[in-house]
Amino acid sequence: MTQSEIIEALLAFIDQDDASEAAFERMALAVFAYQFAHNAPYRRFAIQRGRTTLTVRSWRDIPAVPISAFKTLTLSCTPPEAAERIFMTSGTTQGGVRGKSHHPTMAVWSRSMLVNFRRRFMAGRERIAMGILFPDDVAMPNSSLAHYLALAKQECGTPDSEGFIGADGLDLPRLIAALERAQESGEPYALLGASFSFVHLLDALAAQGRRFALPEGSRILDTGGFKGQSREMTPDAFYDALSAALGVPREACINMYGMTELSTQFYDNGNAVCPPVKSGPHWIRSRVVDPVSGRDLPEGVTGVLVHHDLAHFNCASAILTEDAGVMVEGGFRLLGRVDGADSKGCSVAVEEFLRAARG
Amino acid sequence: MIETAGHLPGLPAGEVAWRTLDFSAWGERVQVRVPELTAAQAGALAGHVREQARTYLRTLPVAQIVATLDAAIARLLDRDDPWRRRAEAVLPIVTGYDRESVRLGLSGYLRSFRAPQLQRFLAEDFANPAVLDGFQPAMKGGFTRAQGPQLLLHIWAGNVPGLSLWSLICGVLVKAGTVGKVASAEPLLAGWFAQILAEIDPQLGECLAVVWWKGGDAEAERAWLNQADTIVAYGGNDALAAIRERVPVTARFLPHGHRIGFGLIGAEALDTRRAGPLARLVAQDVARWEQQGCYSPQMLFVARGGAVSPREFAERVSQELGALSLRHPRRALCVAEAAGVAAWRSREEMRGFDEDGTVVLGEAGDGWSVVFSDAAQPLAPSALNRTLKIVAVDSLDAVPALVSPSRAYLQTAAVAASPRELFRIAALLGDAGVTRICGFGAMAAPEAGWHNDGRFNLLDLVRLTEIEQSAERAADDLAPYVD
Repeated sequence: MTQSEIIEALLAFIDQDDASEAAFERMALAVFAYQFAHNAPYRRFAIQRGRTTLTVRSWRDIPAVPISAFKTLTLSCTPPEAAERIFMTSGTTQGGVRGKSHHPTMAVWSRSMLVNFRRRFMAGRERIAMGILFPDDVAMPNSSLAHYLALAKQECGTPDSEGFIGADGLDLPRLIAALERAQESGEPYALLGASFSFVHLLDALAAQGRRFALPEGSRILDTGGFKGQSREMTPDAFYDALSAALGVPREACINMYGMTELSTQFYDNGNAVCPPVKSGPHWIRSRVVDPVSGRDLPEGVTGVLVHHDLAHFNCASAILTEDAGVMVEGGFRLLGRVDGADSKGCSVAVEEFLRAARG
Repeated sequence: MIETAGHLPGLPAGEVAWRTLDFSAWGERVQVRVPELTAAQAGALAGHVREQARTYLRTLPVAQIVATLDAAIARLLDRDDPWRRRAEAVLPIVTGYDRESVRLGLSGYLRSFRAPQLQRFLAEDFANPAVLDGFQPAMKGGFTRAQGPQLLLHIWAGNVPGLSLWSLICGVLVKAGTVGKVASAEPLLAGWFAQILAEIDPQLGECLAVVWWKGGDAEAERAWLNQADTIVAYGGNDALAAIRERVPVTARFLPHGHRIGFGLIGAEALDTRRAGPLARLVAQDVARWEQQGCYSPQMLFVARGGAVSPREFAERVSQELGALSLRHPRRALCVAEAAGVAAWRSREEMRGFDEDGTVVLGEAGDGWSVVFSDAAQPLAPSALNRTLKIVAVDSLDAVPALVSPSRAYLQTAAVAASPRELFRIAALLGDAGVTRICGFGAMAAPEAGWHNDGRFNLLDLVRLTEIEQSAERAADDLAPYVD
């Protein structure tokens, strides 16, 4: 298939209501064949793993690239300089080396994001007043999260939606004014942003002794964890605090799980109980594998998550994450990052060594 | 199966709160009860141990202590002894190491603590071990006596069985009232050893305690740190830094951080006859305790120019690891460890795409991984758990510069080279920070009396009391028989 054919096929696939296992498999094999043909480093990787278009029969056989590969290899089916946009990881691990995903067009990424976002976060509404706790995509053109939130605001936010993180960080007075207006208006309000920004907000509100009771139907979307940018909180403490400070019940606090190395996001249906079940739309499927052998683990056994995201058509659709998870009915539970273990004995392990090397 | 960890002389077991740790491996489960002492109980136990050591242990001649330790070790070496049978049955489940590895590892290790070897420990640090029993004439004049701490606290870490015994035995040899905190990953052997000592000499059993608290529990830790006058601690640098912050300034703190071991193989060791057996020894060093020991090799530097090339040698090591994994399968890895192994392997694979010289040997699903690099690389950790990088160098002279950036983590290096080369390269390695140079096959079995991390096992623990000549002369003036 050519690039335009694969894009057309994917847009049509996303627009379907659902997809059977067989339909997903057909599309996955087509995308694999496309990537195998046009993405030279991925082809080398696949051959090294003994997987070619001849030997891969099922979507589960498609070799998953470890996300660390996005840091060392240019995984793109098209010349990287021709990309409409390049998303990069924050570079917080591996001493500032950033993983890159090239997007020759944003059409598939945006369709994937919006169809899924409407389904999972908007709860049937066309638009909602939004407050964004993250820099916009002008300030951070290579951040997939900045772009995600900008798209959400543009396509699903009311005209008075606004961002509250500027060059000087959180603009608290303006945010408090917006929350006051929302509280008085009686119209549902949505706060979306990085998990650590919510911690900063919680701390600032606590310092002022402020609490809000946002109108019924208000929602919160957090993502990304704390990443050393704020103090760490347990999920239960985090959602309890959000709920208490903003008056949004934990069931309406949605956590989005997304990655620079994907073009599709996962959501839960609220965080009344943690960790909640996460799931994605019909064009992404996940597996939990033994990272050493790459083999699937049975439901209920903890392993490492592999995602097959058909929308990530230009790079590598199958990726091996560094996230621990367990398959359950209706999706998977996310159990945090697997950073590589510290030594069980007294030999120095990679993580400690790297920490020391970074100083 | 339920086991109880610890040794708490003077504390009625019924008054102690116990927490249960669950272990499972090789299709079996064991629950280990570990004591959770209150601050008051910790204080009472410390007082008891300190007092018993003062009134009993300090009065024992060191030769008698050696005899008692020897008798206790003999029981752990005797495969028919109930304690030994228990160790062989339970430790594989707790640590995950396979039965044969535990059996062989224990026997090899415990041999270092028989009476002749204990005498070696003493002789290594004291020209005259009798200084531990009483005042002995000093070379400079006057008299000297060496005394161990009143209360010596050990904070052990890791799942390598018996690692705790090294410092525990050293403390008892210098007659220290001893409290050891066992690691959650292997909470049993130290307590068993204390109980064996108590069976042999009940009064000696009152002079040592084995306790537990959750690693990093600042409150429990502080209670004990405030009691001890000397602290020996094992762990990663973060854990050690946290402990050091809580150690009273008046106490002596002896940390043992994590280390990285490596090996060097000269061209002369790589003829067709020697390369095979050498590869087998390398594989044994790698497989022993799944590279969790501070002495375990994580990287191998192999010189070019031998009949067997570095690349061929890497393949032989890979084959030996394959053979070894049939007899001694790798212990089951937790998700984080497995992810670490996979990440290390795939990083090297990716490197192989960019550089021609890097090859990952074997299959992803194998219970070991060898990476060969044709280009010299600085020393760096592997993913442990039978993962090894083998790097070709033009000559062993290149190695000191490749390892010296990791100076703070260096300890053991195995060398296969001719005698002249050995001493020449040993001097360079010593400059780079290496403190132990051994042969392949012996990396995981340091000899008795080894100076761990280049320090003194016993001397670092003691305090000297000196009678100067002036005091002697003054006393002479006061003798009843003075003229």
